[in-house]
Amino acid sequence: MYEFAQRRVSFANLDWWLWGTATLLALFGIAMIYSATHSVVDPIVRGRWSSQIVFLILSMVAFFVGALLDYRLLNFLGLPSFLAFAALLVLVELYGVEQNGAVRWIRVGGTLVQPTEAGKFMLIVIVAWYLSRYYTERKRLPMLILGLGALAGPLFLVYQQPDLGMLITMLFIIGAMVLMSGLAWSHFLVLGAFGLAGLLLLYSSLEDYMVQRLGMFFNPNEAANINAAYNVRQSLISVGNGGWFGQGWMNGSQNQLHFLRVRHTDFIFSVVAEEFGFVGSCLLLGLLGFLLWRLLRTMDNAEDEFGRLLVGGVGALILFQTFVNTGMNLRIMPVTGMTLPFISSGGSSLVSIMFALGLTQSVNVRRTVIGWSS
Amino acid sequence: MWGNAPSAEHSRTSKVLIRVVLVGMLAFLLGRTFQLQILHHDTYVARADANRLRTTEIPAPRGLIFDRNGVLLARNRPSYQLAIIPEDLPDDDAATDGVDEEFEAIMDILFTLGVPENPEMTLDMQRNLFAVLGRQDFRKILEAHNIPLTFINVQYDVLRQVQQGDAEVQTETVSSVDIERPLPLEGLAHLIQARVQQRQQGNASEPIPILTNLDRGEISIIAEASYRRPGTHVLEKAIREYVYGELVSHVLGFTGPVPQELEDQYIQSGLTALTEPVGLSGIEAAYQNNLRGEPGTRTIEVDIFGTAHGTVGEVVEPVPGQDIILTLDIELQREMHYALREMLARQEADSGVAIAIDPRNGQVLGLVSLPSFDNNIFSNNLTEAYLRLAEDERRPLINYAIGGLYPPGSTFKIVTAVAGMEERVIQPRTVVVDNGPIYLPNRFFPDDPSQAQEFVSWNHHRDFNHGPLTLRRALAVSNDIYFYYVGGGYRDQFIGLTQPELAQWAKRFGYGEESGIDLPGEVKFSVPDDQWKRINWASSWVTGDSYNMAIGQGYVLATPLQVLQSVVPIANYGTLYKPQMVLQIVETTTGRTQEYTPSVVRFLDVSPQTLDEVRLGMHDAVNSLEGTARNGSIEGVLVAGKTGTAEFCEFDPETQDCMRDEEGHLPTHASYVAFAPFKDPEIAVLVFVYGGGEGSSVAVPVAQRILNAYFALKGLGQVAQSAGG
Repeated sequence: MYEFAQRRVSFANLDWWLWGTATLLALFGIAMIYSATHSVVDPIVRGRWSSQIVFLILSMVAFFVGALLDYRLLNFLGLPSFLAFAALLVLVELYGVEQNGAVRWIRVGGTLVQPTEAGKFMLIVIVAWYLSRYYTERKRLPMLILGLGALAGPLFLVYQQPDLGMLITMLFIIGAMVLMSGLAWSHFLVLGAFGLAGLLLLYSSLEDYMVQRLGMFFNPNEAANINAAYNVRQSLISVGNGGWFGQGWMNGSQNQLHFLRVRHTDFIFSVVAEEFGFVGSCLLLGLLGFLLWRLLRTMDNAEDEFGRLLVGGVGALILFQTFVNTGMNLRIMPVTGMTLPFISSGGSSLVSIMFALGLTQSVNVRRTVIGWSS
Repeated sequence: MWGNAPSAEHSRTSKVLIRVVLVGMLAFLLGRTFQLQILHHDTYVARADANRLRTTEIPAPRGLIFDRNGVLLARNRPSYQLAIIPEDLPDDDAATDGVDEEFEAIMDILFTLGVPENPEMTLDMQRNLFAVLGRQDFRKILEAHNIPLTFINVQYDVLRQVQQGDAEVQTETVSSVDIERPLPLEGLAHLIQARVQQRQQGNASEPIPILTNLDRGEISIIAEASYRRPGTHVLEKAIREYVYGELVSHVLGFTGPVPQELEDQYIQSGLTALTEPVGLSGIEAAYQNNLRGEPGTRTIEVDIFGTAHGTVGEVVEPVPGQDIILTLDIELQREMHYALREMLARQEADSGVAIAIDPRNGQVLGLVSLPSFDNNIFSNNLTEAYLRLAEDERRPLINYAIGGLYPPGSTFKIVTAVAGMEERVIQPRTVVVDNGPIYLPNRFFPDDPSQAQEFVSWNHHRDFNHGPLTLRRALAVSNDIYFYYVGGGYRDQFIGLTQPELAQWAKRFGYGEESGIDLPGEVKFSVPDDQWKRINWASSWVTGDSYNMAIGQGYVLATPLQVLQSVVPIANYGTLYKPQMVLQIVETTTGRTQEYTPSVVRFLDVSPQTLDEVRLGMHDAVNSLEGTARNGSIEGVLVAGKTGTAEFCEFDPETQDCMRDEEGHLPTHASYVAFAPFKDPEIAVLVFVYGGGEGSSVAVPVAQRILNAYFALKGLGQVAQSAGG
C-alpha cells in the first residue's frame, strides 16, 4: 500500500522564471500571430490573435491547476493511461475520420479531435511511470524491452494512421526518457541495434506522402512537391530577408504580402526571423533555451524518479518540437506540420503545453521533504 | 515503498551531457539562422524583392515626324479604352451556390454601358477579345458555355516580318468563328471573364482593355458608372496618327505589335514590353530606335495575388522619342501623288512610282508609290479595311519605288552612252546611221539571213528611220540602233563595248546594289554579265544580250529609285549620292539636332566632255523639235530628260506566253527621268507607270506637272534667277 510522503506545497519553489518565460513567449506569439494574420480576408483567420489571448488566459489557469495537482497522483494513472492510450488509437483505427488521406481524427460532438495530441502527454506519464517503477533501479534489460515492446503496438497504430511526425515525436520522447533514466551502456548498444533495424524497416515501408516529404527535403525542386517546396522556399527567403535586425514588426514583406504561407502556424518562426532579424531569432531561441534550462534545473531538483522523468519528458517534447519546427523553417528538417511551442497559433497546443509545464512545477513545489512514513 | 528517489547514478556527467545536447541543438539552429540571415542576406533580399516588386513601364511618347518645312506628318493622338481591373471585381463566393459573382459583375458592367442596344460595341469588344485570346481559345471558351456560333473560312493574308523592318504578305486559310456577327451578351461576358481569370494569376492590378476608341460621351458614361461599378477603368493610350494618310504612307510606314518571330530580336535591342507598338515599315521601322524613346518605369509593390500596394522608390520619367524631320516636301508629295494617280486612272494602269530627288545632295523631296493605302488603319486594331488591303492583288503595301524590279528601258541608255564615251567606243562626232532594223546572224547558221535575229528601233514600228545620228541626237530621239552599236558593236563595221565594260559601268552607276536609302524593304538585282547568264540561264552571253542591255531591256532589272539615282550624277556632274529621307533628328528634351549630311556613294570619275554630251542629249530630248520628251518642258526653267518605254513580259497562264496586244506587241512600262534647271539642277524626277504605254505620252506629262509644282512652290522669282542656259 502506497502512502504519500508529506511534502509541503511551497509556491516559493515554483519556478517563476520558467512561468515568466513561458508567458512572455506566448505573448510574443500573439504579437506575431497578429502580424501574420491581420490583413487576411477570412475573418476566422483574422481573429486568431484574439482567440489566442483567450487561450493564453485558459493556459494560465491550466498551468496553476497543473502546479497544484500532486504529480504523484499521476503515478496511479500509469497503467490506465497506457490502456486508454491504446484504446484511443484502436478507436481511431476503427472509427476515425479521414482527412487528406490520413485517419488521425475522431468525431466528438461536432468537432474533430486528434487523440494523439493528448497521447503525447499520456505517453510521458506512461514512460515515466514504467521506467521509474521497473527499470531505473535494477536496470534489467528484459524489463526495458518488455516495456518498449508493450508500446510498440500503439506506436504501430500511429504509424498506421499514418502520422510520421507524431510517431517520430513519440519515439524521441521515449528515447530521451530512457536515456534520462540512466541507461546502462550495454543496454544502449542492444537498443541501438534494435533501433537501427527498426529504422530500416520503417523506411522500407513508408507511405507515399512521407517519402514525398522526405524527398522534398532532399530535393526541393521535384515537381510533385511543388506546394511544400514553395512554402519552404518562401520561408527561407523570409528568414534571409530579415538580416541582423529584421524589417520591423508588421513590416516583413514576405509576411505582409502573403508570399509566406501557413504563416501563423507552421512557418511563424520565419515571420519572427523576417520582422526581427537575427537578433530576434536569437532572442526567441534563447528564451526557449532558457525555459528548457529551467526545466533541467527542475528535473535535477526532483526528489523522485517519476517526477524527474516527467519533467524530462515534457522538456524533451518542447525541445523536439522547437527543433523540428525551426529546422523546417530553415530547411534542415523535412516539412511535418509541427508547430512551434508557445508561439504558433493554436489553442489546444498552448493550453496543453502550459498544463504540462504546470505539472513540472508540481514537482518543484513539492520538493521539500518533511518526513517519510510507510 | 512507491517512490524511487532519483538514482545516484544520475551523475554529473549525465547532467552535463543533457545540457550539452540541449545547447548543441539550439546552437545548430542558430548557426543555420546566422548563415541565412547574415551570410546570405543579400541573396534572399533580392529574392524577396523579386517576389514583391513589379516594374511597370510608362510608355515614352513616340517621336513626331515632320516634313522639311516643319509640317507635321505623324503624331500621337490620345485614344480612350475601357478596361477592367481584375482585382476590383468581386470573387466568386463559394458560399452562394450557382451564382458566379464575378460573372454577374461583368454582365452588370456590359448592361451599364448599353452594350445590348449597341451591336457595334459588341463587335468591337469581340474583335479585341479575339485578338488577345487567340482564335482557338476564343472558340473553346464559347463552345464550353454552349454559345451558338457561326463559322467562316478565312483567307488570312498575314503580314509577316521576314527581317526586322521587312514585311511580307503570306496567305493562310483557316476555319474561324465569324467575329463580324455579334455574339450574345453571355458569350461576351464569358470571354471577358476568361481574360480576367488569365490575368488574376499574377498581375491582378493590371487593367485589361476590352473596348477601344471610346468617344467622349461614352467616357462620361463609364466614368459615372465606375463609381457604382468597381472594376471599370478608362485607359488613355497614344495612337499613332498619320495626318496625310495615303499621301505618305509608303514613306512613313506604320507601327504595330512586335511580330512573334522577331520577339527575341526586339528584346535584344532593348524592348521590354512586347505589347509596345514598333515600327513595322517605312521611316517608322528604319528609325524605330530614334522614334521610340526610353520608357520610364514605376516600381510597385504587389502581394502574392498581384494586388498593388503602392509605389516603391522613385518613378523614372520616360524620355520622349526623337522627332524626325524628313527631306520630303509634303506639298510636292501631294502634287506628285495626284499627278501620278490621275495618270494611272487615265491609263487604267495598276501601279506607278514618282520620285523627286535633290541632285545636289541625294535628299528625297518626294516619293510616291501607287496604289497607296491609309496607314492609319494599322494604328487601330486591324479591321476589314486591313483585310481589303491585304486581299488587293495590286499589293498596295509594297513600296514599288524600292520594292519593284522592272526593266529600266531607254533611261538606261544614259549608262550606255557614258560607258561608250569613257571607253572610247564613241566620240561626240561619231555618227551611226539608222537605216532600219539591223540583223545579227544566227550563231549556228551564219550564212542564212532568214535565221538572223532582227533588232529594231522603236521608230521602225512607226515606219521611219532616224538616219545619221550623233550621240546627242541619239539620246534626244532615243534611237535604239545607235545604242545597239555602242553596246555590242555591229559585225566588223563597228567595235562596241565589251560585255564586262558595259556591266562595269552599270555597276558604277549603282545598278546591282541597293541604293542605300533609309527605308526598309529595298530590293536589288544583279547586273547581268556572262557569268550571271551561265549560272541563271545555262548559256553564254551573246551580242544580242548586249544589244538588249544597252537599251535597258533583256536581263537588266532595277528599282525605279535606282534608275533615278543613276541619273543624279549626270545632273550634278559626277557624284553618285545615296538617297536619303531624313534631314534632321531632333532630341525633343534638349532641342539638340543631328543633321544628316549628304552621303556620297562614289565619284564617277567621268570626263566633263562626256557629261556635257549626255546632258545635251537629254536637253534636246525635251527642248528640240524631234525630242521624245518635248512635251516635258516647263515655263521659265530649262528641263533635261530621258524617256523610257520598256517592254516587259507578264506571263499569261492561258497562252503559256507573255501577254501581248492585238498586234502582238508586248506591253510596255512608261518611264521618264528629268532634271531641272539644266544649268544647276536642284531637282531630279522619275516617273514610272507600270504597263502604262509610252514614256513620252504617259510619264512625261506627270513629270512636267511635278516640276511645275516644284518651281511654283519655290516661288517663281527665285526660279527666274537661277534658270540659266
